Order: sequence, then C-alpha cells, then structure tokens
Amino acid sequence: MDMQALWLTLRLALTTTAVLLLIALPVAWWIASGTGAARALVQAVVALPLVLPPTVLGFYLLVALGPLTAPGRLIIRLLGHPLAFSFSGLVVGSVLYSLPFAVQPLVAGFKAVDRSYLESAAGLGVRPAGVFFSIALPLAKNSLIAAAILTFTHTVGEFGVVLMLGGNIPGATRTLSIALYDQVQDFNYAAANRTALVLLVVSIAALLLIYGRSGERDSDSLGVR
Amino acid sequence: MTPAGDAKLAVQFNHCQGNLDLDVRFALEQPWTVLFGPSGSGKTTVLRSIAGFVRPATGRIVAFDKKVMLDSAAKVYVRPHLRPVRSAAQGARLFPHMTVGANVVFGSGWHSKPADTNQLVDEVLALFGLRAMADRMPRDLSGGESQKAAVARAVVSAVTGGKTILLLDEPFSGLDLRVRDELLSRLKDWLAVWKMPVLSVTHDVAEAFQLGAEVIKLADGKVVEQGPVEVVLAEERRRLLGQLREPTSQKRDVGHPI
Repeated sequence: MDMQALWLTLRLALTTTAVLLLIALPVAWWIASGTGAARALVQAVVALPLVLPPTVLGFYLLVALGPLTAPGRLIIRLLGHPLAFSFSGLVVGSVLYSLPFAVQPLVAGFKAVDRSYLESAAGLGVRPAGVFFSIALPLAKNSLIAAAILTFTHTVGEFGVVLMLGGNIPGATRTLSIALYDQVQDFNYAAANRTALVLLVVSIAALLLIYGRSGERDSDSLGVR
Repeated sequence: MTPAGDAKLAVQFNHCQGNLDLDVRFALEQPWTVLFGPSGSGKTTVLRSIAGFVRPATGRIVAFDKKVMLDSAAKVYVRPHLRPVRSAAQGARLFPHMTVGANVVFGSGWHSKPADTNQLVDEVLALFGLRAMADRMPRDLSGGESQKAAVARAVVSAVTGGKTILLLDEPFSGLDLRVRDELLSRLKDWLAVWKMPVLSVTHDVAEAFQLGAEVIKLADGKVVEQGPVEVVLAEERRRLLGQLREPTSQKRDVGHPI
C-alpha cells in the first residue's frame, strides 16, 4: 500500500472539497435565485466537466497555467514555479473538474427551498446574507452534505486531470488512482488490488452516506421537497 | 401626486397583475387601518407592494412623510429588508428548522440588548397565548397556533425595528371567533402602547368592527371608500345583521354577532 499516495489523495480531496464549497455556495445560490441567459450560460459552463474528457480539461489547464500564457507567466512570477506538476496545481484542476458535483446538488437544494420562507425573512427586515445563512442554507442542508460527499469522492477517484496536470511525482502529485495505474503497469497486481479496494470502499461508503441520509425522511420537515 | 398630510404611510400606485388592474391611492393616519375587500380585489397585492415584494409599474409609496420606498418617476425602489415595514404574509410561514421561540425572536432588531429582547419575546408569546409552545418545533403546532406565532414574529420584529409599520395579511383568518376577538383587542391595545401603525387585510366584516378601525374599502383594484368602520361598512353590517335575523332553519355561521 502506497501510504504516501493515500495521504496525498485524502489531502487533495479535503482541500478541494473545502475550496469548492466556498466557490459553489454563492454560485449555486445565484443560479437558483433567478432565471436568464447569464445563469443558463454559467450553468452550462459549470456542467462542462461532466461531458468533457478529463484529459482535455487537464491539457487546457496544463497549457493555461504554463509559461505559454499571460496568466500562467504571472503565476510563475508570483509563486516562483509553475502551478502544473505541484499540489496547488492539482487543487486547481480538481476544483474545476468537480465543479458540477458541488454546484448541481446545491442548485437543486436551493431551488427546493420554499421562496415564501425567504420572503418572510425579508419581510422581517433581515438582510440577504442573514436570509442565506439562517434560512436557505439550513433548509438545503442535505444538499450541502451531498455536494461535499460527491466532491470528496469524485476527487479521490480522478485520474485524467491529475495525470495531465500533475504528472506522477511521489508525495506531490501521485494520487491513489495514479499509483494504481503504476502498479498495474509494473504487473504488481497484489498492490494494485489493495489500492483498488481502498478506492472502492471510499466510493461505496460515500454513496451509503448519501442514500442513508436521504432515507432519514427529515427532508420534509425541513421544507425541502 | 401623493396624498398630503401627516401620513404614517402614503400610497399611490398603478400595477397590472393578471386580470386585475390596480389603481390605488390612500394614506394611513389612524393607528390601525383595515384594508377590506372581497377575494381578488387586490388587497394582498397592495400589501406586497408596500412591503416591496411587488414592484408596481408606476407610483410612489412613502412612509412617515419622508422615507420614500418607491418612486417610479425618480427610479427609486427600496428593497424589502431596507423598508421601515414589517410584514406577516397570509398563512403561517414559520421557519421549519427553528423552534417557535427562535422563530419569534428571529426578526428582532435588538441585537445588542439580549435581556430586553428575551423579556419582549416572553411578553409577546404570552400575549398570543404561546408561552408553553416556545420550545416546540413548528411541525408540532396546530394551524391556528402557527398562524399566531407567525404574527407574533412580525410583531416582535416591528417593535424592535425602530420606526416601522406593521403589515398583516389576514392575520387571524383561521382562528375560531372567540379566540380571534379576544386576541385582536389585546393585540390592538398592546400595539397602541408601542404606537405601532398597523395595516391589516381582511374580508371579514366582524373583524373590522371588532378593531373599530379606519377602513379602506377595495373593489376591483380601486379604493372605493375610506373612513371609520361604522360608515364604510354600514351596508355590509346591515346585510350581516339581516342574515342573522333569518329563520333559524337557514341560519349559517356568518361570523360574529355585532
């Protein structure tokens, strides 16, 4: 078992989940609170990683973050090294790649919150931020949990983006799925078996968490239909 | 032009919603004013326009003579939470994830005075007969209790929100008459102490008389009359009393005997 790869994978998945929720919450809230062309466009862009081969996303990021583009050069000048082939680069790639897995459940959750609760709160003079944190977010709690679990597991299992953007540097960018690929390439099937089992268990545990929670039937009482 | 005078609230606007063409103009000068009219006459839309949830096409809504909340000519539209208005919509909308007590205190503006807030909330809960239910969740309340709690929540928010106007849309329509009458008179006295202007919506003649309030009569989106309840609703009262005198075989539950 490649413990270094396991630790790196968990660190990447946790960081990605935290960063992504910070981005996804306002984006999802904005998408859910209206209609229009701008929202449709953002939703389409957010959903893109669902249909795009991960290697395509990884390739574009590799180019965009490298010395060939102005933003890439700026990053290199600020950090002293390119984002590609580093842990931070992997976080950037994972955040983009898992975007739909965080945003879509949250949009569904926020849309399911009865508008009249939000209006009632505004009618009591409560500021929009207060309405969001005290009413909308608690009522969409199940969606928030689902978004976090999906983002985490999706990041644990990603391969294409990591390989393209991060390469295969032990301790820096070699995640479990890359380690598994290496082990198979080396005909080390015993090790590959163990790595694959860990990834399988993580995925099943995550899905059990999501479906177990949705079975609690507390969604009705929370005003989420 | 807005109705002049020492108005707590001056309302003038035009708005088209569905089949209804609203064209209203009135001013609130009495402590409690009732917006009276049949279903579909536009009462709720008027209230929602004042609260800011409906944005009328043209018009001007001013609170306390100087707080402009809507002025279509000057392109002014103040968002609901910034208006000196607190509202309780029709039908209880208690936040389902908070206890009744947490609901009632939710809109309080006294953030720096927790002790005073607790005392006030306690007083309001007692006023509405909800003290024993403070720790319950909304799902454990009856319809009438939820409705009372929703109004209590708006009342707390209004008296702690500085100089505000309280808007109540059919606040007690689901309550049985005895409870409603008792609560209405208690609430009226209590709010009078706070000098809280109230605009409430009803289609119930008895409720308007019970309040002894100023009445604005609305029909088909227009204000047809405004004045003391005895004058404006004299015709309705006569009809209601006529119904009550009908033979008992045809007697229906028409509300409160006046």
